[in-house]
Amino acid sequence: MKTLLVSVLMMAALMGAPVLAEGLLPNIPAALGEPHPEGNEFWRVNHPAILSHDRDLTVLDGIRDIDGSIKTCVACHAVEGPDAAPLTVASPEHACRTCHDYTAVKIDCFQCHNSRPEAGDWPAVLPSLGGTPESLHAYLERISQ
Amino acid sequence: MISTVYAVLFYLATFLMVAGVGMKVFKYATTPVPLNIVVSPAPRTKRGVVFRMFREVIFFESLFKSNKWIWLFGYLFHWGMLIVLLRHFRYFTLNTWWWVEIISPIGKLMAFAMLAGLLGLWARRIFQERIRYISNPSDHLMLALLVGIAGSGTMMSYVTHTDIINVKAYFLGLMRFDLSHTLPADPILMAHLGMVVILMIIFPISKLLHVPGVFFAPSRTLVDNAREKRRVSKWARNLPPLPEGIPAKEEG
Repeated sequence: MKTLLVSVLMMAALMGAPVLAEGLLPNIPAALGEPHPEGNEFWRVNHPAILSHDRDLTVLDGIRDIDGSIKTCVACHAVEGPDAAPLTVASPEHACRTCHDYTAVKIDCFQCHNSRPEAGDWPAVLPSLGGTPESLHAYLERISQ
Repeated sequence: MISTVYAVLFYLATFLMVAGVGMKVFKYATTPVPLNIVVSPAPRTKRGVVFRMFREVIFFESLFKSNKWIWLFGYLFHWGMLIVLLRHFRYFTLNTWWWVEIISPIGKLMAFAMLAGLLGLWARRIFQERIRYISNPSDHLMLALLVGIAGSGTMMSYVTHTDIINVKAYFLGLMRFDLSHTLPADPILMAHLGMVVILMIIFPISKLLHVPGVFFAPSRTLVDNAREKRRVSKWARNLPPLPEGIPAKEEG
C-alpha cells in the first residue's frame, strides 16, 4: 500500500501541475487569400511532400509551370510586422515558423528562397533569370560543348 | 470519441506502468541478498562497481563478451530506441529543448537502426533452432510490439504524415488534464499509440523489466570483497556462537 502511494505521488510529480488550457496550440496567422480548396487539414499534413514534388519538377525536369511555388506561399501567408512590412523568417511570428518552431521541425527553404513577398520597397534578392524550357535547353547545350 | 478513449487508455497505462515498475523496484530493492554472488573477475571497490555498471549499461559489456551477433543487434536497437524516444520529447514540451532539436534529425534516421536491430533479434528467434526452442510467445510479442511501434512511427515520418500539430496539442493537454484537444484519427497513428499503450501496460509484468533490473542484479552490482568483509544475514546473527578462529562480528 505504501508502495502504491509512493508510486502515485511519483506519477503526479512526473505529470506536472495542471496548467490553464489556453496556449497549447501555436498561434497560426490567417492567410490573406482564398482558402485552399483541398482544405487546411490536407495542407497541414501534405505541404512538405507537395513542395518537394514541385521542387523536383522545377529543378530536375525544368518544368516551371507548376501549380504552386514557395513564392505564392509566402505571398498569401505573409504576416505584417510592426513596420508595416511583411515579416521575414527571422521573426518567430512568420507563418512558417509558428508551427515549425512548435514541433521543432527545421526547414532549409529560406536559406535560398525569400521568406517574404516582393512588393514595393522589397525587391527580390536575386533578379529573375527569365528561364524558359527553351532557354534552359540552349544553356545546357552551350555548356555541354 | 477516439480522443477520449485514448486519453483514458493513456492515463490507465501510465498509472499501471509507473505504479507497477515502482512496486517491482521496491521488491527488488528489499529482496535479501544473503551471499556475495558477484560474477568474477569483479571490481574490489565500490568505485570499481560503478565503473563496471557504467560499462554494462552504456556498452553492454557482458553481452559483448558472450555473443557478438546479439550484441550488435541489441546495441543497434537500444541506442536507436533511446535517440528516437528522446526525439519524442518535442511532443511533450511546449518549448522544445535545444538538445532535442539537435538530435531530432539523427533520431529520424535512428528509427532504421532500431528496426534493423529488432529484425535481427527476431530472425535469431525464428531461424536459430536452439533459440526458437526456448522462445516463449511473450518473447515474440515484445518483438512484434516494438517492430510495430517502430514501423508505424517510421511510416508517419517518411510515408504518410499525420497532423503533428494536433498530436502535440493533444498530448500537452493530456499532461495538463485538459481533454479539449482532438487526436487526428489516422489509422497509423491509432495503431502506433495503441501498441504503445499495450507495451506500457505489460511493461511491469514482462521481460522489459531488465531496464530497472540490471541495477539490482547481485551478480553485477556487488563488490568482490568476500574475503575482506564477512556478510552475515539477519537470521544468522541469532545462531549459536561460532567455533574459535572465525570472527563473530562483521568487519568494515
